[in-house]
Amino acid sequence: MRTIDTQTALWMAVTFILFPVLALLGITMRTVQAGGLEAMAGWFYPLMTLHGVGMVGVWYVAAMGCAASVLARHVAPSPLIGRIALAGTVIGVLMLLACVLLGRFAAGWYFLYPLPLHGEWPLWSAVLFLASLTVLGATWLVWSLDLLRAIAARFTLAQALGWHYLRGQTEPVLPPSLLIVTVSLIAGIAALVSAVIVIVLFALELLTGTSSDALLMKNLTFFFGHTLVNLSMYLGVALAYEILPDYAGRPWKTNPVVVVSWNTVLAIVLLAYLHHLYMDFAQPGGLQYLGQVASYASALPAAIVTIFGALLLVYRATMRWNLASILLFAGLAGWAIGGIGAVIDSTISANTRLHNTLWVPAHFHTYMLAGLVFLIAGYFAHLARPAATADASPRRDRTIALLLVGGAYGFFAMFYLAGAWSIPRRFAAYPAELAHGATTAGIAAAFATLFLAGFLYYALDTVRQWRTATRTD
Amino acid sequence: MRTAWPGLLLTLLLTLAPDAPGHADTGFGIGGGQALPDIRLELGDGSNALLSELAGQQPLLLTFFYRRCTGVCTPFLSLLHDATARVGGAGSDYHILALSFDEADTLQDLRSQAAALGLADTAGWSFATTTPAQLRLITGALGFEARPAAQPGQFDHAALLAAVRQGQLIDRMTMAAGRSDLRRLHALVRELRGEFIPVLPRPGRMALGCFRFDARTGLILPDWGLLLLAAPALGSLGALALLFVRSGPPR
Repeated sequence: MRTIDTQTALWMAVTFILFPVLALLGITMRTVQAGGLEAMAGWFYPLMTLHGVGMVGVWYVAAMGCAASVLARHVAPSPLIGRIALAGTVIGVLMLLACVLLGRFAAGWYFLYPLPLHGEWPLWSAVLFLASLTVLGATWLVWSLDLLRAIAARFTLAQALGWHYLRGQTEPVLPPSLLIVTVSLIAGIAALVSAVIVIVLFALELLTGTSSDALLMKNLTFFFGHTLVNLSMYLGVALAYEILPDYAGRPWKTNPVVVVSWNTVLAIVLLAYLHHLYMDFAQPGGLQYLGQVASYASALPAAIVTIFGALLLVYRATMRWNLASILLFAGLAGWAIGGIGAVIDSTISANTRLHNTLWVPAHFHTYMLAGLVFLIAGYFAHLARPAATADASPRRDRTIALLLVGGAYGFFAMFYLAGAWSIPRRFAAYPAELAHGATTAGIAAAFATLFLAGFLYYALDTVRQWRTATRTD
Repeated sequence: MRTAWPGLLLTLLLTLAPDAPGHADTGFGIGGGQALPDIRLELGDGSNALLSELAGQQPLLLTFFYRRCTGVCTPFLSLLHDATARVGGAGSDYHILALSFDEADTLQDLRSQAAALGLADTAGWSFATTTPAQLRLITGALGFEARPAAQPGQFDHAALLAAVRQGQLIDRMTMAAGRSDLRRLHALVRELRGEFIPVLPRPGRMALGCFRFDARTGLILPDWGLLLLAAPALGSLGALALLFVRSGPPR
């Protein structure tokens, strides 16, 4: 009998409450772009900020919460630090809500320097935003360090990175999920240190008036932001490695190919963010080329090895398809599809055409929503639904999966289509020349509503099944 | 406590103030900041005054203009007028000096410019001319440049505003047309009134640069700030060393 520990249940609750609210903000934005909800047009950029920061934060902590849950099968993370992470996250989110909803802070989730200090919003809201990032960053840094400490208590660093498999040894056994979580946490610490440096430089300007180099700040900001999003995805992929074998009836073991691919990620992922600076003419050309090479090199090995591994795992297996396994498999597919969009965008010659269009939200919504969200939703479904239950309903599972997948891909298609038509991103309202952007935005809002309905159905059903299982237990 | 903040801010700003070109020998002002040359002014009402007489008693906002400018001068003076009217305190807390840099401007031109802006009888505003030699001193000290333009009687120049307190330059901004410039302008005026302004960027003063452009060779060269990009990876390695080497399992 699977059980959900209290902390995972709390992270699930946080996710199930915050995600629909943030999704509703996104639907509002697309509706405003479609020409509806005119009264909300002045809120477009504050909502964009809250939606962006909120979604990245929620799914990062959800992924970390799930990773902590998986780690607890193999090592012993500190329950106290887990509670501190939850408390710090709640406090940080409340501060974020205050600065956006009361102060109308609207610098976007990138909060690129020096915009936070020079917008239309009051200065206190920018300070509160930076303070909320400080709380969240410090909390998550401590959390990451504790999870690594737990791994270090059982494995050496070489073992945790699977290097003994390269020498032909298979002991100690290292689950692939643990290897991926280790890689993600190491990269995550670097990302969070980068966030700390950004906040210190903002504070220096607030306290002394000494400005910072905008190019340096942009490098540091994307070092933090891009890497954090990347490793959230990797933590989600670790869940698939951990759980899919239960449904396939076959093991998914660590082997030298898996080790090489994920160590490649560790070696290169910190340089992949450079593709966010292709438009910055002051960045030396060598770094731009490095950005393209690193983007390919960090994404392709792990993705190819994982996708082939998942296909081989499922091929001719007595696969037990239910909502959990469907979502996990669909999550890997979403990662691959969104990843292809990302790799195209990270190609310099394509980026010059696509960068400021809706192609960019198209690809990151694909791998976040159809990738990370599906993987985590699959993991929660796996935990909440006992292996065999009288309440099992393949028809209900398929209905939920259909709503989620259909809603999500319809929503993405409008972004991709608009991107291919060069509709610019971050426009609250489209001029007459871009009226087709408004049309696609309206259709996207409808699909997103369908997705949200599916998610609410999924969340309610998951909670109900969990409560049923708990009572039976 | 409130009155201590401007002093603290001023001290910090003075500490951080960059050296401007054309530093004059005959400067006035107290403290360790950049002093301005004490030039002689001929005011619009026909009287004469030293810059120190205007800037010694009250903080001073100093800008340059010329009457026949078809470009930025009048719009910028209007912006400044609007900012000082909104913030208040002109004449009581600080003074504004619009100094002509065109030798062709007469006292009548000064009065016409003031009247055109509705500033003829506004407290705290002075329009002035000075001699070419004195003008070179003050423009050199503030880094203000004006070159004759192709159009007769016109100059290529930026809109510059210098904030002076106790005879020392505490801030200098060149205005473009953005809203953030307006915010900065308002902040600067409020700061001169003694209000605590937490953010007052120092142009040309950066904590650390990422790259620097060498105009002589045309190369983009690494700067010290680039080391900060290595810090996250080094921090992560340090954490790994602490966690795995010190807390790791017995080999």
